[in-house]
Amino acid sequence: MTLVAERTHAPHPLRGEVVHGFGPWAGAAVLLTLAIALAASLDQWQGGWAETREQLHTAATLLGAPLALAAGCRHGGRERRRRTEELMASAARGPLARLLASALPLALWVVAGYAGAVVLAWLATWYCSMGDGPYPVAVLTDAVVLASAVLVGQVVGRLVAWRLAAPLLAVGAYAVLGVLSYDGQDALGHLSPVVDGTTDDVPVWWQPVAMTVWTGGLAVTAVMAHAARRRRFAVLPLAAAAAAGALLVQTDNAGLWHTGALADRQVCDTSTTPQICVNARYGDLLPQVTDALSGLTGRLEGVRNLPVRFEDRPGEPRRDEAQLPMLAPIGRSVVRGELTEPRRYAWEAGMALYGRAYCSVEETRDWDPVDNAVEHYLAPIPKQAYFDEQLAEGSAADRDRLEARLAARARLEAMGEAERRAWLSEYFATVDRCDGRGVPTL
Amino acid sequence: MTALLGARTATPLAGPLLYARSRAVPRALVVLLASAGLAVWAAHGLDAYVDPSRRVPVVALTPLFTSAVIGTSLYTASDELDRTAVRPWWRLRAVHLLTLSALTAGLLSLAVLGHPSVFGPPAMVRNTLGTTGLTAAAAALLGARLSWLPAFAYVSAVYVGAASAHGRLVTVWAWPMQPDGGAGAWAAAAAFVVGGGLYVVRGARP
Repeated sequence: MTLVAERTHAPHPLRGEVVHGFGPWAGAAVLLTLAIALAASLDQWQGGWAETREQLHTAATLLGAPLALAAGCRHGGRERRRRTEELMASAARGPLARLLASALPLALWVVAGYAGAVVLAWLATWYCSMGDGPYPVAVLTDAVVLASAVLVGQVVGRLVAWRLAAPLLAVGAYAVLGVLSYDGQDALGHLSPVVDGTTDDVPVWWQPVAMTVWTGGLAVTAVMAHAARRRRFAVLPLAAAAAAGALLVQTDNAGLWHTGALADRQVCDTSTTPQICVNARYGDLLPQVTDALSGLTGRLEGVRNLPVRFEDRPGEPRRDEAQLPMLAPIGRSVVRGELTEPRRYAWEAGMALYGRAYCSVEETRDWDPVDNAVEHYLAPIPKQAYFDEQLAEGSAADRDRLEARLAARARLEAMGEAERRAWLSEYFATVDRCDGRGVPTL
Repeated sequence: MTALLGARTATPLAGPLLYARSRAVPRALVVLLASAGLAVWAAHGLDAYVDPSRRVPVVALTPLFTSAVIGTSLYTASDELDRTAVRPWWRLRAVHLLTLSALTAGLLSLAVLGHPSVFGPPAMVRNTLGTTGLTAAAAALLGARLSWLPAFAYVSAVYVGAASAHGRLVTVWAWPMQPDGGAGAWAAAAAFVVGGGLYVVRGARP
């Protein structure tokens, strides 16, 4: 009766493996490593879901995978260190069941550590999200990569009786992944789980599947070749991994990645002149951008010969559009869902309209006061007073230049509303020319 | 009795040599030499004259691995027996750690000679001391066999995170990625003094 009662309450053998030992430490190490790496570059990804995906992916594969390999390798040598190999060999369960009972709880902890980092990163981005949404497929793929690394490490740890095997495996994996990722355009680079597209890109539907089969297949091959009762069956996962690997290698970048549907869309405010469009990935930022540009767009109301809108799509703007100043990569103009310098952003937007960036200084010297007056009226550079002081303290030519600028600014501001609108309309008809023909005088 | 007499008549070096053998120091020395050779080969293959920052992987990863070599050499299979000895162990521990650290720092510096202003020998020495200090502290707190784990986690996290980090303290916490000189050297030296001191005083956890 007592025996029956004990059987009923006996914990599952896997429970001890999951709760005790090296697993929780490995999970904590993965969580801490990823958290430090993510926290160090917080400004560059927080608020952008694609940026968060990219940062998580890089951290998980470049840092987490070597760590998972090392953790698995160390765990694989456990029976040897405890000198319980012979005892374990006498157990009723076969070698495959014993290996999995040891490796899977560790894989669970490593993936749990990664999941903890994912939750923290997603919470951090959700808090100041600018649009878009999380990318769970990338997370699942990376979780498979980490679990596979634990299994491969476990097999290596069982085979190699060397104290330095684990750190050597980790540093070696780090170097190999780094070299493969250094030039991700290479065909072999596609085999690296680290390689990713840009933040505008998403993988084709089968890329995560192929990566999962490639890494998971290699891990299952290693496990079966080491511990399965019929080792020849290891050929099956090896064949699957080879097929997936061949598919990845033979496909070029354009076949693996394409611009995401959201990155190709825009969210627009059509009430302004010009209209303001923000990439749909940062759609929630539109009110802030509209607000930052309100001074510029307010003064351009009623002015003709302007671009129809500020656009924010990948690639060059169309003929009747101007490029919205860059929001991405985040960390410069935008940090944690906030425009860092709205006045500077407005100046950059103004320069996109009339900057004559393609003209040389010599070409634009003659009508520099006119350009400067327009810039000063519509959206002055935040350090305008400083630049004026520099000219005032400079050579005689600089002082003459400043005097001409100040006079032009005064004349533009002294105009009546209707007169200025007409003048600006005439001016904007000439902003795409460098020869100065038709630039109205002030 | 014969064995005792034999031990008495042994040379004065017999103790340190036995100590070194019991810690597998000869094998650690061979691995350190091989690591230094690999670092020389890697550093020259990276064409650092094009961009000195190409040396960063060598300057960051080689000391990380050599610190693991030093850390695992701190393991003793007879910890309980050792603690019953009359003689103090701290001298041997200190000599062990300092000798391997100095030797490693010297050997690895050979890999990055030239371009003294960025990622040269000073950065290599700093990283060797810093990672070895972290590993020694981990040996005292976690055990020598797992001593490589905290340093590996920290350096690899900083390796990815520090590239885009800004701020006044970045030169301190991201010391493995900093060029020669600067506050990072002090952080690494402090890690070595604290970690090394902890190990010398307490010894490796079994």
